[in-house]
Amino acid sequence: MAELVIGIDLGTTNSVVASVHGGSPTVIPNRSGYRLTPSVVALARNGKRLVGALARRQAVTNAERTVVAVKRLMGRRFSSKSVQDSLARLPYTVVAGDRDDPRIVLGEQHLSPPEVSAMVLTELRLDAEAFFGEAVTKAVITVPAYFNDGQRAATKDAGRIAGLDVIRIINEPTAASLAYGFGKGQQEKQLAVFDLGGGTFDFTVLHMFKGVFEVEATGGDTLLGGEDFDARIVDWLAEPFKEKHGIDLRTDKMALQRLRDAAEKAKCELSSLKQVEINLPFISATPKSGALHLQSTLTREQLEKLTGDLIQRCLRVCEQVMDDAKVQASQLGDILLVGGQTRMPKIQESVKSLFGRDPSKSVNPDEAVALGAAIQGSMLLHEESDMLLLDVTPHSLGITIAGGFFQRIIPKNTTVPTSAHHVFTTVKDDQTSAKITVVQGEDEVAAKNELLGEFMLTGLRKAPRGGVDIDVIFDISADGIVSVSAIDVQTGVRQSITVTASSGLTEEEIQSATKTNEDWMLGQKEDPDFQDRKTKAEDLFREFEALWPRLTRAAQNGLGQEPLQRAQAALSVARLQVAQKESEGLAGSIDRLERMLGALKGAVERGLGQEGR
Amino acid sequence: MQRELRDLESRGDALSHYQLLGVTADVEGAVVRRAYLERSKRFHPDAWYRRDLGEFGPLLTKWFQRMVVAYEVLSDEETRAAYDSENKRHLSDADRRAVELRELSRAEQDRRERERRARLLRTKGFARIGAARGLFAEAVTLAANGERMQAIAALKAARELDPNRREIASRLAELERDQAKARAASALVSAREREVHQQWASAQSAYVSAFQLDSRNTVAALGAARCAFASGDVQTAATWAGRAVELHPGDVASRMLLAKLFAAQALKAKARAELKVVLELVPDHKEARALLKGL
Repeated sequence: MAELVIGIDLGTTNSVVASVHGGSPTVIPNRSGYRLTPSVVALARNGKRLVGALARRQAVTNAERTVVAVKRLMGRRFSSKSVQDSLARLPYTVVAGDRDDPRIVLGEQHLSPPEVSAMVLTELRLDAEAFFGEAVTKAVITVPAYFNDGQRAATKDAGRIAGLDVIRIINEPTAASLAYGFGKGQQEKQLAVFDLGGGTFDFTVLHMFKGVFEVEATGGDTLLGGEDFDARIVDWLAEPFKEKHGIDLRTDKMALQRLRDAAEKAKCELSSLKQVEINLPFISATPKSGALHLQSTLTREQLEKLTGDLIQRCLRVCEQVMDDAKVQASQLGDILLVGGQTRMPKIQESVKSLFGRDPSKSVNPDEAVALGAAIQGSMLLHEESDMLLLDVTPHSLGITIAGGFFQRIIPKNTTVPTSAHHVFTTVKDDQTSAKITVVQGEDEVAAKNELLGEFMLTGLRKAPRGGVDIDVIFDISADGIVSVSAIDVQTGVRQSITVTASSGLTEEEIQSATKTNEDWMLGQKEDPDFQDRKTKAEDLFREFEALWPRLTRAAQNGLGQEPLQRAQAALSVARLQVAQKESEGLAGSIDRLERMLGALKGAVERGLGQEGR
Repeated sequence: MQRELRDLESRGDALSHYQLLGVTADVEGAVVRRAYLERSKRFHPDAWYRRDLGEFGPLLTKWFQRMVVAYEVLSDEETRAAYDSENKRHLSDADRRAVELRELSRAEQDRRERERRARLLRTKGFARIGAARGLFAEAVTLAANGERMQAIAALKAARELDPNRREIASRLAELERDQAKARAASALVSAREREVHQQWASAQSAYVSAFQLDSRNTVAALGAARCAFASGDVQTAATWAGRAVELHPGDVASRMLLAKLFAAQALKAKARAELKVVLELVPDHKEARALLKGL
């Protein structure tokens, strides 16, 4: 039996888990039977942790303790403009942590974004375990192609906290292309993936040949997605209301959550309808006029006008990436649309007019990414897989040089694994150490790029300035980990360091969060009543077993097969609940089984009585 | 696999880019790409993820990276031609003949293509639009195969046939820009080599031609300045250093050179101004400090 590995699309709005099962990639439904799990975490009034649809359903009445769109905070600094801009839009409270990292206030706790993401991942992991009936520890998780190292590290940490061994982080559009190319064996094709999800936009150009997927160029915008489309509608609803009543609904957390829900619903409906009614009764109240209602009609045309510039931003990224890949729209064999937001008709039209062809409909925009992640997992771990992904670095890697300028050492879109050299020389006489600052980005000014890490080269030989040449080697491994080593050219003395981008969490914090999460899972499994219920259920199983031969006889003597089949179904449900430690569900099953047992015993006795006469 | 890697190690640097990818020197761009992708399936570290390769792990990565470099060079017509002409003597006899044949057949093909395009250009009326479209499609395929020069020629003919089609003009401009960049890059390589051998005049002219091809290339400008200075032409050197500074105001090396050149021309005030900027960028720059004192 091949080792189990799951692929997870950890989205801004929704997440999906998949696995290659019996040779074909399949989406794993969650324990409620749905294929999409909302990336929402909440702390209910009774102190219970809620994840997914349950959390989402109670968001309106518990807005302040419901965390949505945490992906937008992953791996970012609290003081950064992007976080500050998002704050006003989020119904929950975010404060600064010790290292300028955002912390989400959830009841008494201040949680880091990876900890919150870990809760979503844990849920998906439990779904997969329920599906397979065995433990799942290995996973491939996807991130937007344009995520930088810090954001990737944060995602990896989230996986660790959820008790997963994250064997690879891969890019969402690349994953989608794997789902597209799966089973297309020998074909050679150039394709592009247009991935507009809940929070991010990515565009990638690839070449596929005999199961090898070569990424040629990738680019995107990590703060452009469906949520921004919703925000435009929210503003469009809130502005006139403010003018009329002098109340800004966006400052009232509960009203804001209702506005967001209504906006998202309207947006989705406008993909098939020309206009929709938005009705929000009792949205606010004033002492003077009493309850206030909001009612509006949004047309598709109006929505397109509100979001036109967002679509334009996407198209500009596409042009840039095609430029980088040195391809023309006409050379592309297929355009894949990925991400729920690509269902918007205007986006499909814009893509069609930019590329001069209809986008491919062969992948499911919600599921392709998770399926691709599962395929990558299987490619790495399973012998029989005959596919390979050649991915690239989405950002240039370099160092800060005199004057605060950025010196590129590995340009963006370089195939990984890769390595590059740079020779430094001492600038002072008898200089014994040198500081090297590693940054990632495209700006000529180093400070405008993302800082990956700094390290000191120490113990240099004493020599006049320029007398020591240090060859610094930068390596990026296949899973995107940057390591740097330095050699004194004249003496051959070597030093090396792994530059791990910081997710904002220290090793101790990650370990303690992992422990907390494990405890939660155990607590989850060991409902105090569970043991009692389990014993009771097992007693019932035995009673049914003992009764069964007589039941089959009764069935032949006029009772019929149907009650037996129903009993059998109820028994297998209860057995599963015991196995999955679903305490509450089991309580219901016990009730049902007891009733059935009573009725069947009665029937058997009556049947026996007849026989005896 | 281990045997393959050991074999690669023992043959080491003697392997040409063609041998690394397992193709002969006469194949076209699309074949090079396919060969590279097939090799990746065997040599990419991910293909061996589930195995512990021990000491062979780093070797695998090393040789995969060598293959990436080979692919990068051979997938662009310009860099491939430069590689061919520089490495002709290192290639195997068969490959050398193939390269020569390719050059020959290219010349022959060029001639035939030129004639065909000339015929097409004589097309009259509406048929011109159709002919232009055909040439554009050809150019797109050629460019995808790394045959940039051919693609440019086809686009030029297409533009003449149908001057109003924007995509022809924009694609042509794009290819010409790429061509200039690739040429600049190979000019820089040979310039550096000549500079190392202290052939100042020819190195300088190579730097200048690199700069003309890519007018934002600070390295080329600074190289021209260094070579001019080394051969004693202070005036020209100062002009080039000035250009380098203009392009990249934060480059300390350019500013230092410019300062020295001003000093050599006894333009003390100007030299001082440059040195002050250098010291602002690197406060403890000893050489700048000493030079400033001397002034």
